[in-house]
Amino acid sequence: MTTVDRREFIKSAAMSAAVAAAAGSTRAFALPVLTAPGVQWNKAPCRFCGTGCHVLVGVEDGRVVGIQGDLKADVNKGLLCVKGYHVGQILYGKDRLTTPLLRKDGRLVPISWEEAIDTVARRVLKDPKGFAMYGSGQWTIPEGCAGNKFMKGGLSSNHLDGNPRLCMSSAVTGFLSTYGVDEPAGVYDDLDQCDVAIMWGNNMAEMHPVVFSRIVDRRSRGEKVTIIDFGTRRTRTTDHADEFLLFKPNSDLAIANGIAHLLVQNNAYDKDFVARHCNFRQLDPEKPDAMQGKPMTFDEYAAALAEYTPERVEQISGVPADKIRLLAALFARRDIRITSLWCMGMNQHTRGTAINCLVHGIHLLSGHFGKPGDAPTSLTGQPSACGTVREVGTLCHLLPGGRLVANEDHRKHAEGFWNLPEGRINPKPGYHTVLLFEKFCTPTDKGGDIHTLWVQVTNPGQSLPNLHKLFKAKKGLEDKFLIVSDVYPTATTELADLVLPSALWVEKNGMYGNSERRTQQWFKMVDPPGQARDDCWQTIAVARRLFDLGFEGMKNKDAEFLFTFKDKGGKPVPVWDWNHYYDINVDEAFFEEYRPFSKLKQKDLAPYAEYARTRGLRWPVVQQPDGSWRETRWRFSEFDDPYVKKGAGTQFYNSVTKDDKALVWFRPWEPPPEGPDADYPYWLCTGRVLEHWHTGSMTRRVPQLHRAMPAAYVEISSTDAARLGVRSGERVALVSRRGRLELPCWIGGRGDCPEGTVFVPFFDESLLINELTLDAHDPFSKQPDYKKCAVRVERVVTTGAAR
Amino acid sequence: MSNDADISRRDFVRGRLLRTVRAMAGVPTPPPAPQRAAWVPLPIRRPPGAVPEARFLAECTRCNACIQACPVGAITVAPMRFRHAAGTPMIDQATAACVMCPDTPCISACEPGVLRKDRPLKMGTAWVDRSNCLAHRGTLCTTCSERCPVPGALRVDGGKPAIQDATCTGCGVCAQVCPAPINAIAILPLPDRPA
Repeated sequence: MTTVDRREFIKSAAMSAAVAAAAGSTRAFALPVLTAPGVQWNKAPCRFCGTGCHVLVGVEDGRVVGIQGDLKADVNKGLLCVKGYHVGQILYGKDRLTTPLLRKDGRLVPISWEEAIDTVARRVLKDPKGFAMYGSGQWTIPEGCAGNKFMKGGLSSNHLDGNPRLCMSSAVTGFLSTYGVDEPAGVYDDLDQCDVAIMWGNNMAEMHPVVFSRIVDRRSRGEKVTIIDFGTRRTRTTDHADEFLLFKPNSDLAIANGIAHLLVQNNAYDKDFVARHCNFRQLDPEKPDAMQGKPMTFDEYAAALAEYTPERVEQISGVPADKIRLLAALFARRDIRITSLWCMGMNQHTRGTAINCLVHGIHLLSGHFGKPGDAPTSLTGQPSACGTVREVGTLCHLLPGGRLVANEDHRKHAEGFWNLPEGRINPKPGYHTVLLFEKFCTPTDKGGDIHTLWVQVTNPGQSLPNLHKLFKAKKGLEDKFLIVSDVYPTATTELADLVLPSALWVEKNGMYGNSERRTQQWFKMVDPPGQARDDCWQTIAVARRLFDLGFEGMKNKDAEFLFTFKDKGGKPVPVWDWNHYYDINVDEAFFEEYRPFSKLKQKDLAPYAEYARTRGLRWPVVQQPDGSWRETRWRFSEFDDPYVKKGAGTQFYNSVTKDDKALVWFRPWEPPPEGPDADYPYWLCTGRVLEHWHTGSMTRRVPQLHRAMPAAYVEISSTDAARLGVRSGERVALVSRRGRLELPCWIGGRGDCPEGTVFVPFFDESLLINELTLDAHDPFSKQPDYKKCAVRVERVVTTGAAR
Repeated sequence: MSNDADISRRDFVRGRLLRTVRAMAGVPTPPPAPQRAAWVPLPIRRPPGAVPEARFLAECTRCNACIQACPVGAITVAPMRFRHAAGTPMIDQATAACVMCPDTPCISACEPGVLRKDRPLKMGTAWVDRSNCLAHRGTLCTTCSERCPVPGALRVDGGKPAIQDATCTGCGVCAQVCPAPINAIAILPLPDRPA
């Protein structure tokens, strides 16, 4: 992938632009569309981030030949980001996995699917309790349904977690502890109507560029929208911001408390909204691990905040006291609409749940909630972190539809919907991601009780924190067995014992759920290469093999196979046989089985056909008297949400306190678990870049994106660089307590770190920055902190220019 | 002028050889190309600091020292399609870009002195095709301006790249990194390097 030859370049350019004959386009935005007769265009959500843009995929002769933005899509209105325009090319990297591979004598050798599926089944039989599955926010909804039912309903094991644990579980705990139900109340439409958009440690211009365009495009139409950027480094987002507040890492809790303090002290909070809709909470000092906490009165709340005076906040955070006053004054205004946006900055935080709660708290306290443009909205990084993981419940403590494995009623619901014998579902939550990999990488005789791990659609060998401890320690453990379903060789397949080639994106049917509760659907358009097969089929095939081997768990209450799907005539279809997998629409069958789960917490979903017809619908999707299906944009608001009682205005109907009120939390600021000291004097922050998505396993195989951003780098301030005596392009070594990595530095490039901070993107599999990061995690969400750990920077003496 | 005469003689010889080979292989000989009135420099992109083209062709010894000195492998040998310039050092825009090393190792390596420190480093001028540029089409993209190695040559104006012709050296880095589906940057060659 280092060089791209001319032919490849021309081929890929031609592919992105479709074929021949330019049709005239009058659109001001988005690229002109080139097409040709014979190219079939079909809709699909983009494969990359959680924004949920729709693309039109052009197919000719069984091959994707073009991509264009979908004008009919509400989310992106025809626009795509740098990555999105190239999404078709991810299918055609030269090193696609096309055959199952089994490690024999240290080498991966091709085997048949029968042997591969049998190998997985035998590993389950070895000891079902030690078999775990690690899924993904890139799983389609049906894939998540299959994995969840296979593990929790089939193996009676809750050792199923997903990578969203690493990216948004603090947002989940934030929503749950505030509203009693997960996912944002607001939608992207807020961005078209807000007067102020606040980015809480969120570099939207690079991470969610299309959503960010929705805000900045308003300016080109002459509208005024104020962008406030909170951050620990200057980014592309800062270029568009009216105010940039640089804060010291980990001090965001102090800032949020400072704003709340001023609202209370100046009597500027929304008294009516607070009286009608809010209760106050703090953590119970006797049970600090309990997410429920204990009630507090408003006066106690005010007293707890008292220490966060603007001056004290300035001391902790480095943000001038006047700026804190300015923010509080903004929230105090009732005539403007404020939307808060955040993503990994607040979630990948050892106090992630706390800061999420505090930002919701400010919005509730100031009444900036529930009106178009007034919303605290979290964004997700993966296309179906919401749809597949948060809603389907593919985490170790969840069941579908916002249910908990620890709740007896919830288990009974699931057993009912899945037609399982009573007591099948294990009441004990399984291992969360960090613990799961720790157990997998610990020798069995030392308590590592996970012997087999099946990873689907994700790349933990690159994305886990503290990689030496949580992933590379697996090497040499003979009795541990790693199964990886993926489309390309990755850092994870390097240690895999069994590699299963998967179908990717439009090579299969799929459904995703984006950041704004929008469920989306697409149909298979091209065939997967070689013997690559759907992840969903792989799960079903293993289940069937277990069933054939007499494994009791793979039978439902009526002793039928767990995944029995019937055709229109009521005849069971042998979907475990690849030749018959597409005889029926398995996606539709899974989705219809899952739909009833969604009612409990008013997350109602429409029938599959509705999603096939539209560019996604935002739940709750409620059927109207005329039979049509209506999506809901603003949840908990009477004017839009059908579940809110008439006259209530705003109603938090999933309330933790069962009185239709939300909880405003007090959470104190606390120092971080690891910060710079004499030995490790720099903060290390990690993240993404515009051109690459996640671990780069797809985007690094797109020539244009690879050329635009070929390798990882360390962003360092010019002052620190001068002190170290390094210039842009020269190599430095970063050393943390957990690892060491050499990489070139980039000074004054895309972003700009303040003195004492360095930033490294994690997309590059040859420069694994996660060997250095910290596996300390939030106590409630179990989400690790990738944004803050201490490192040392050393100059590396090299001969010759490095670039 | 004697150089030009040399070149035409060489071309003449090569032409006759080709005709002989074709005759032996039984391939019909195409009609002779019309005689060109004067020698026209080919739009070939030289490494930075090159002397005027006629002198370059005459004095470059094809020693490949600049090619070996280039730390990024951007300089290559001109292939046969460059006719009389074949074998001389060039930068192929489609596959490589000069990264404008501050210490210009290619110039330091040039013994015959056809790459010179006292010559302008200009190799061409970049040009942004607005219909294909993502930034001009509403997508947030600033890759070219971030990678441009010449301060001030590529400004971002309201989020959109704008080339400053006077400062741009035509190194081609912007074209190389452009992530647009159809590359939005072309490097226009210099009509001829100033004498």
